[in-house]
Amino acid sequence: MPATTDTSEAPATLARAGSLIDPQALMAIKNLEMRAKIVVQGFWNGIHRSPYHGFSVEFTEYRQYVSGDDPRYLDWKLYARSDRAYIKKFEDETNLRCHLVVDNSRSMGYGSLGHTKAEYANTLAATLAQFLFQQGDGVGALTFDDQIREYLPARNRTGHLRHLMLALEKPTGGSATNLRLPLQRIAQIVRKRGMVILISDMLAPLEDLERDLVALTACGHEVMLFQIFDPAETTLSLDQSSIYLDVETNQELYIDPDFARKSYLKKFNEHNEAVGAICNKLGIGFHRCLTDQPLELALFDFMRDRVERGKKAKGGTGKRK
Amino acid sequence: MSFLAPFFLLGAAAIAAPILFHLIRRTSKEKQPFSSLMFLQPSPPRVTKRSRLENLLLLLLRCLVLALLALGFARPFIPRPVEVNNDPNAGRKIVVMVDASASMRREGVWDGAVKKAQEILNDAGRADRVALYTFDRVVVRHVGFEEWGQMPEAQRAGAAGERLAAAQPSWAGTRLGNALISAVEALEEADSDDTQAQWSGPREIVLISDLQKGSDVDSLQAYEWPEGVTLRIEPVKAPKPTNAGIQLVAERRDGPRQKEDAGPRVRVTNSADSKREQFHVGWVSGTSPDFLGGLAEAYVPPGQSRVVRLSKAPAGAKDLKVKLVGDDEEFDNIVWHVEQEPQVVPVVYLGSEKDTDLEQPLFYLNRAFQESKLEKIEVIQRPQATPVAQTDLDRTRFVVLARAPVGGEAASLKAFIENGGTILATLKNADDAASIGTLTGGAFPKAEEADVKQYAMLGEIDFEHPLFAPFADPRFSDFTKIRFWKYRKLDLDAAPAARIVARFDNGDPAIAEFPIGKGTLIALTSGWQPSDSVLARSSKFVPLLYALLENSGAIRSIISRVQVGDEVGFDGAPGAPAVSVTKPDGTTVQLEEGAKFAATDQPGVYTAKIGEARQTFAVNLAAGESRTAPIPVEELEVHGATLTAPELTPEQTEAKKRLMLKSQLESQQKLWRWLVVAALLVLIVESFVAGKLTRPAVE
Repeated sequence: MPATTDTSEAPATLARAGSLIDPQALMAIKNLEMRAKIVVQGFWNGIHRSPYHGFSVEFTEYRQYVSGDDPRYLDWKLYARSDRAYIKKFEDETNLRCHLVVDNSRSMGYGSLGHTKAEYANTLAATLAQFLFQQGDGVGALTFDDQIREYLPARNRTGHLRHLMLALEKPTGGSATNLRLPLQRIAQIVRKRGMVILISDMLAPLEDLERDLVALTACGHEVMLFQIFDPAETTLSLDQSSIYLDVETNQELYIDPDFARKSYLKKFNEHNEAVGAICNKLGIGFHRCLTDQPLELALFDFMRDRVERGKKAKGGTGKRK
Repeated sequence: MSFLAPFFLLGAAAIAAPILFHLIRRTSKEKQPFSSLMFLQPSPPRVTKRSRLENLLLLLLRCLVLALLALGFARPFIPRPVEVNNDPNAGRKIVVMVDASASMRREGVWDGAVKKAQEILNDAGRADRVALYTFDRVVVRHVGFEEWGQMPEAQRAGAAGERLAAAQPSWAGTRLGNALISAVEALEEADSDDTQAQWSGPREIVLISDLQKGSDVDSLQAYEWPEGVTLRIEPVKAPKPTNAGIQLVAERRDGPRQKEDAGPRVRVTNSADSKREQFHVGWVSGTSPDFLGGLAEAYVPPGQSRVVRLSKAPAGAKDLKVKLVGDDEEFDNIVWHVEQEPQVVPVVYLGSEKDTDLEQPLFYLNRAFQESKLEKIEVIQRPQATPVAQTDLDRTRFVVLARAPVGGEAASLKAFIENGGTILATLKNADDAASIGTLTGGAFPKAEEADVKQYAMLGEIDFEHPLFAPFADPRFSDFTKIRFWKYRKLDLDAAPAARIVARFDNGDPAIAEFPIGKGTLIALTSGWQPSDSVLARSSKFVPLLYALLENSGAIRSIISRVQVGDEVGFDGAPGAPAVSVTKPDGTTVQLEEGAKFAATDQPGVYTAKIGEARQTFAVNLAAGESRTAPIPVEELEVHGATLTAPELTPEQTEAKKRLMLKSQLESQQKLWRWLVVAALLVLIVESFVAGKLTRPAVE
């Protein structure tokens, strides 16, 4: 069972360490790459003091054999040279191909805190990219609104990260959020098994979501979903009754927040529960991020998810995928 | 406090509006963006709870404005006793106008009018002053205000009534507008005469009339009806509404040629309130009721008119008239018709040539004067062998002189001109010209044959002269095609009185007019015969000759379409004979010289004796008199007359009196002005407060 965690259960250690960066302060930094580096650096500072040390299974490394390890993974050559038993990781494992699928539609352009959901999502994507890139993994990106806007294949070359950052920095657009197209495209393009991280507010009809996600997981991809919300969206904490404009469809409605809140929250929660249920069903890591939460928490979620997944894979099949 | 228009207080209910607006929560006009409205439903406008009523001061001010306005519109006043004149009839001035036009001749109408007038006269109070008039085309005074005042009180109504009863409706048309204006003038004149305050009461005109549609009220349009003069209308209704009338329709001279047996056309007009549509028209003679010849049928729906053609008037019948049968009223059923005989116009021609000589003027003159329906021109030729006699000159007013006068002719012709005759002298040669010149008193002692190279044309024409006036229009003013081969050159320097009517292109006179005594001599320096010019063969020749004839007074104008009351003028040319007119009833009126005949007071055939000649003309009823359907009373109001309200019941009168009292009090106090001023002030305060509330706090 994959972990469906909520960032509200922030690890006490990270919080205690005081390493969390206030998203508002972070977003004030204009350069996306810089933002990503700061977050990743902060995360490392925190993680070295964390009890989760050594969970990073993606490193290419040797580990001393302990009893119970599968002898198949022993590096016999090294044993011959040094007479010590070491467990060797597979190259395939260490060269993860991760695709960041980032929603860049207009609904992501909304923000009540001084930064938009899109800025938050892009920073998250950049942070993950930076993090993975540092590990030597290949990182690709695909941005979309009602169609696919940018696509960069997963690579780990010099300068690739910069291209990726530039692609992420493009402004929001489009008239709707079309989740089908990017998921299908990824399934088509990426033949090798890898990781797909979908970052979106998921404010779109969910009819075909399950089918498209199934197509991805069936290809062997490890899928993770970060759902980004502005705090105002989760509580409908709007100032006053007014005419509200749907930034995607340009539809106008007179809304009295006090009047509409109850039914809104009901529908909103139902929608999100449906997303969660789909993810649960398909074993997809589902994380909800509010734009007022530090990005490190999201990164932590990512890490924890990976660890749990790794444990499970080990416990379940005895070998990594 | 009472109100003149209390229903306006309902307007105060509008106070509910600002209260409601204050209850509705203020919403921002700006549109707020939101990520997705997929989970949202439109919200209804929300009303705050009463306890949350915001901006109470503003609300109160706004309500106050509305309340003050409603109060102002309700016209409040403070009741207080007022002195009222209890006798509104005190010292009224009444003009009683009784219609005496031809349409009042209908059965029972005049009697009804007299009866109504008598009632009004009897109702007049002691202090009232009454004037009594009848009118048709003209207004006739029977009793004036002053006379009424001088009569003994008890006899006033009776005496005035007797005078009215002695009057009879005339045959003339109705000039209602003029009559009303005269009545107003009579009232105003009486006002200016009054020095006593005794007659300061209301001024009223009582109109007793059948108000037939044919009445002329146009003059009221330009008249400003004075304030304080009310018009009371006492309509007199005819017991039988069906009435049709007939009028003769003038025949167009240039209209299509009619059959031999076709007679004149008549227009049958049916009154709008008629009950019948089928009428017959035919000829009758004298007093006999029997029709001569066949009847023409006329189907005329009410309110319309149709023109029907009669058969030719029976020959030999005397005192012919056209009669209409089929309606209720007789007064307008007869129209007199006078068959116009061609007028015999003698013209004396002094010339010796034969009528058949194509080279001589007479041939063309005879052919120019064709007999027509209206005139029969008789050319009396006097060659040199038979000099013109005085009897010839007495018969005519136009002489054509184509030869030199011989013997005593010059003297008699001169006398003829001096008495008002006209001579057209065509100068056939230079010798004739010189002798003709003697008639003018030596205006041109000699003439010489002009030296014409190729031809001469008329160069300068005085289109203001009656002779050429018909050609003044540019369409007809082209005389260049008339070429003159020869003409006689006149030296007119010695004749300052001569008027050059036309000159040749080289400046020599072509046609000159010499006024002599009462008459004129017109000298044509060329002839119209082919040896002199192509004038006789031009299209201008005949109109020129007729213009000369008409100017000379030889042709009398036709008198037609005369209505009762019209003035008839006879040609008052200088030296014209005396005129006497015999009316249909046999009386004869002798006219003074130049005077017009105005005594056309009855329909029928009038005979005018002008010297030896006789001229008959028919006088008929005004066409409007046949349109007897009553006009709506409101039409008079449209023209500006102030009508009095219909009679009220005592309760209504009392209510009206109370209302008048109220409105008098209200207009004296005019409290509404203060209320409006107060509303404006409150409005200013409201604007101030609202401005202060909405202004963002200064940081």
